[in-house]
Amino acid sequence: MSPLRSAAIALGAAAIAGCGPKELVPPQVGPKLTVTSTSTQDSAPKEELRMVPAEAYMRTYLALFGGLAPLEVQKRARGGDGAQLFDTWDDYFSSLGFPDYRIDMPRSQQTNALMVATFERLGVALCDRAVEHDLKAKPPVSERVVFAFDEAAGPAPLDRAAFESRFDVLHRTFLAYPVKLAPTERAARFFKLYGDVHARHAKAGGKARFSPDEAAWASVCYGLVRHPEFHLY
Amino acid sequence: MHASRLFLFVVALAATAAAAPAAGAPPVSSRSLDDYRHFRALAIDLLGRMPTRDEIAAFERPDFAMDAWIDGHLQGSTYAERLSRIYMDLLRLEPSPSTQFAPDATTLYRHQVQGPDGKPVWIYYRPRQRRTREETDGEFCLTKEETGLDIAARMQPKEPGGAKPVTKAVLEQHTVLVKPWWLYRDYLNVQPTRRYKMGWDDPDPSYQPVEGLLNDPDGKPTMEVRVCREEAQAMPTGHVYVTGRTPPPKGTPLPHGRTRPAPLDSAYAKLHKGEVLACQSKLAVDSSAECGCGVALEHCLPNDGDQGGSAAFYFPNHIPLGLGQPIDTARQQGQRWFPFWWSQEAEHLLSHVFTADRDFREVLTARYTFVNGPLAQFYRAIQPGNCCGGEANFGMVQETEPLFLPSNVPTELFPHDVASWKMVPDRGPHAAGLLTTPMFLEKYASARARGATLYTAFLCKSFSSENAELTPSTEPNLMVRPGCQSCHATLEPLAAYFSRIEPGNLVYLPQQLFPVKNEKCKKGPNGQLPGFCNAFYDVAFADATGATLRSAYGSPAHADATPAGAGHDITKMPEFSECAVQRVAGSFLGRTLTSDDAPLVRELTSTFTRDGHRMRPLVRAILRSDTYRRANNLDSSVWRGGAK
Repeated sequence: MSPLRSAAIALGAAAIAGCGPKELVPPQVGPKLTVTSTSTQDSAPKEELRMVPAEAYMRTYLALFGGLAPLEVQKRARGGDGAQLFDTWDDYFSSLGFPDYRIDMPRSQQTNALMVATFERLGVALCDRAVEHDLKAKPPVSERVVFAFDEAAGPAPLDRAAFESRFDVLHRTFLAYPVKLAPTERAARFFKLYGDVHARHAKAGGKARFSPDEAAWASVCYGLVRHPEFHLY
Repeated sequence: MHASRLFLFVVALAATAAAAPAAGAPPVSSRSLDDYRHFRALAIDLLGRMPTRDEIAAFERPDFAMDAWIDGHLQGSTYAERLSRIYMDLLRLEPSPSTQFAPDATTLYRHQVQGPDGKPVWIYYRPRQRRTREETDGEFCLTKEETGLDIAARMQPKEPGGAKPVTKAVLEQHTVLVKPWWLYRDYLNVQPTRRYKMGWDDPDPSYQPVEGLLNDPDGKPTMEVRVCREEAQAMPTGHVYVTGRTPPPKGTPLPHGRTRPAPLDSAYAKLHKGEVLACQSKLAVDSSAECGCGVALEHCLPNDGDQGGSAAFYFPNHIPLGLGQPIDTARQQGQRWFPFWWSQEAEHLLSHVFTADRDFREVLTARYTFVNGPLAQFYRAIQPGNCCGGEANFGMVQETEPLFLPSNVPTELFPHDVASWKMVPDRGPHAAGLLTTPMFLEKYASARARGATLYTAFLCKSFSSENAELTPSTEPNLMVRPGCQSCHATLEPLAAYFSRIEPGNLVYLPQQLFPVKNEKCKKGPNGQLPGFCNAFYDVAFADATGATLRSAYGSPAHADATPAGAGHDITKMPEFSECAVQRVAGSFLGRTLTSDDAPLVRELTSTFTRDGHRMRPLVRAILRSDTYRRANNLDSSVWRGGAK
């Protein structure tokens, strides 16, 4: 029988069946299900870390800038660079997640690309100005808000032990706990970052705005001020 | 000692006591990572920022007393701000950019004309000011023939062929010089001398009139402003002015550069010709030529231009960290000045409840509030100008039962005292916490919006429609109309609480003059109400015996209970306490509470109600709970009580 004829017969049979009485499927007892394996259902509530409220982020930022008022921080963060480092708080208001009651804009409960970019920009401005204030101007350590430690004595980078004692200061400043309680690889990673940046800037031969040690500490600061643990709680 | 300073001192003392190391105690930390994270979370929630290195060092000392630290910081301003934020996020009590508060009775604009010497001169005027000169009645006080200024075409003097010098005689006849309140600290004196930053050397830094209000067109400091003569009047009363004027024939061109025809006599004016009326009322602007802006123009707010686009003061757009720490300052329109302070009043009221650990129910029931200089000016001199127009047909020519009695406004506050806040112990019998603040009433401008906000924000309930087919219906009663009733059976009675407050102007309609069922507003044979009734009474709920007050049909009893009754009734409901607990606990835990949290909510609600609906014991219980400590821990094994 040709396939065409077979199909035609099948279609005809289906059409006849469609016009006839509905087929009844009598109920029947199936085979008993057997247990093949068991697993525990995790019924624990699943929570995500909270975002640090925008108000707390901003107050912390102001505190790290020396406890100044927002407009004074804006003025100093811009410095002589205009908007290269810092725009205006107004520009960051929405992207930081603040609610705008005037237009019924709710508080942002989750990060987004613009917010992360804003955190980055603000973080870089904070760290660069802190390097200028704490490391370049060299006030007494007690007057340093961020880099509250002695800088390297010479052009050579710090060794691991000297780095870690200083890194602990920054770790407490930004993440609020000692580095010894952090994941074990954290200090090593940041030490590598410090060393790499130091080496690149040393190679550049003093053309950059910051010395190798300053640039290396700035990059460590960038890493901490943008760390997820800084923005979540 | 100032209350806030004392407050800070107490906080500092408590914090110091908590952090004080024992003599010789070694700074050795035995804290776990969870301990540090818990401390950081507490700092973020109570201090409003992450902890400093010094605070961490104090925390690491063996004798650090966590409970004492928490208690110390439950007194702080940042704690109050943290709690206020929960309700501000819900209620969003800030005026929208489109909020315009510029009543004709209390707003001054200005036109620039050429003075007799050809130099530009600004002349302040009130829109629709009644004047006995027909050419300018209800308009700017000088005609096009006198100024060359075509106001209707908005032609400014700089434009070619525009203005011409106003003669000295005309200028002196129709305008006067005034030392206004916005320039002089001692404006109530007969001869004010303390001009802004010229004799008045210590103005509040946040009180910043725009340059246009401070300087004359030639750039010199303004010492006096020129005002239309009628606007400068300061008598407390005037008389109803009737002209007998008839409408001009249709198509008649407007004479003298007028922007609209000269006003005709209102029905009220015809009936009450020559009667005395209070100048601080809307009716006075419409019906008297003898009423102005009061001494030193203090009943009016200036603008540096001719309506659109003009400005009055600098103030911030955004103050996320509070009034003392603005992140910007902007040149703002005068019509946004009072709404800005309305928002601050609501913030102060909320903050006081949390700072002083008052009974939280006062948020909806308190008769007290807080005002600064601009708000004192608003309640004393501006709000009375919102009434009365159509209300006069019901016998109310000035507000008889305002939500905030002007006599209760502190007299020692000047309009410039923007940073001085005073508690007003009693606004009046109709006051009800946030519910009768201008900010709440403006943000939620209709009775239904107000009722719905109460329901959702303070009872944690929401309106969800039934799965019903919406069929065409002429049934005006939404409590029975199919498809509407499931929500409106609840919403309409809630809305009725607010039916005595007019949408848009904060005027309270007293029961005596505006009964829920008013026989004056009978439905006529044509199915209509008398015209003057329509603004206040609803033809959909009227018959041959009278009409029902708008928004009151859902519950006449609630209408007479007023917002004060709403506050009383809502706070008595058991859902109120549970909702407050859910709001606060959810905020501190950073998540919406679920049925899994029922035991915690029960326990916290018990704490909350037992302690007199005070937030401090509630927050203390939340912060000390294991649930809070674990709230930022993703490890599900912790929830099961297993190893971390």
